[in-house]
Amino acid sequence: MPDIGGSDLFVLAFGDILHYFNPYTATLFLLALLFTGLVIASRPERQLDIAFGGDAYYAKMTTVSEMRFRRFMAIACGLASMGAMASGDIFNFTLFVSLVGITNVGIVSAVRIRHVLNAAYEYGIVAMVATLPLFGGAALILGTTGTLSIQALAAGGFAVPLVGKALLALGVIGEGMAPFYAAKAEMFRAPGAPYVIMCSLSSLLIFLRVVEIVITI
Amino acid sequence: MIPVYSLGLLGAFASAGIAFYALMRETDGLHRLLLTDLVEVVTLAFIALLGTDLAEALILPGLVVGVSELIALSEIFRIKEGYTRPPADTLQIEVMNTAPPILAALLVIYGIILSGFSGGAVAGLGVIFYFLSRDPGERFELIETASGYSWVLWIIAFFIFMVFPQHWFFAVMLAGSAILVKVMAKMSLIGTMRGDPDA
Repeated sequence: MPDIGGSDLFVLAFGDILHYFNPYTATLFLLALLFTGLVIASRPERQLDIAFGGDAYYAKMTTVSEMRFRRFMAIACGLASMGAMASGDIFNFTLFVSLVGITNVGIVSAVRIRHVLNAAYEYGIVAMVATLPLFGGAALILGTTGTLSIQALAAGGFAVPLVGKALLALGVIGEGMAPFYAAKAEMFRAPGAPYVIMCSLSSLLIFLRVVEIVITI
Repeated sequence: MIPVYSLGLLGAFASAGIAFYALMRETDGLHRLLLTDLVEVVTLAFIALLGTDLAEALILPGLVVGVSELIALSEIFRIKEGYTRPPADTLQIEVMNTAPPILAALLVIYGIILSGFSGGAVAGLGVIFYFLSRDPGERFELIETASGYSWVLWIIAFFIFMVFPQHWFFAVMLAGSAILVKVMAKMSLIGTMRGDPDA
């Protein structure tokens, strides 16, 4: 099996369930850690809307309770992405990925604006439906090989079904769908900059990790 | 073993196909939310098909993820549609005034006989039913206290398992009855939930 992550830097094994870092995942982990720190330290942006036909503008204020909730969700999202980077067990990885999906919904859903809530609701349904291929893929891999440990699967000797890998990748794509709603822009017209960027970063990270997993096993 | 598993997989994929088709056809927001729950059940079926102890352990987090996503989405839906009216006080059905004590007692007694996690679930169902049909009053402190003490007993049982393995039977009994009370107390809180006016 091709080893794209490089040699292991650190392995913490609890029996069958293990956590490991290689240069690839360690880089992603540090990125998530750095951005979580930034989210904790930074203050939300104040969005300005220009009123057409005049010099006037609307200043949208973010209330303290909304800011607190979104910051909490962004931090939780950062922790979930870090967990997904460090986990060496496919099922734990899927759980962290679905946690990323839930917190991504949470980050945008605190905004009490109707079009933002509509987009968050649609995305939430996608994220919820995506748990089917996500867990289905992990269950198929467990059912055919008898193990969920990425290192054991990477060591070879198992015929990991292509369907399982495809379902896993599909599930991660569904859970990390949030930035693609940026094309619709409704979701990202919500005020409060650093928290919304957490959606994009976390889904980028889980995409990169699932590529590594699918190629390695 | 293998043909049964493949047959089950076929059934699960077929159910997933039906669920996705329904989701594609449906346009009403609330109905789509309900249909996603259908997809969640198929997800659990995928895991349950493995039929091992590990699968049993994996279903619980899968279920928790599904339920938490469902709760988050229904909260978004509620705020999006502006539903803020709290539900009515109690169910106004005549039989609910007479039947609950008997049914609840039967379920609780059967739950105690079962003991452990499933016994707690059965007994909890009885208590939920009782609280749902009666005005709950202020029994939260009592329930919370019982739940807390039973949790402590459960932890003590675990320490007995690790430190004094020769007393395993006592620890099993302790853990079994503690988890009974714990699950029952947690479930009974559901029966008292009617939503606050300011929720």
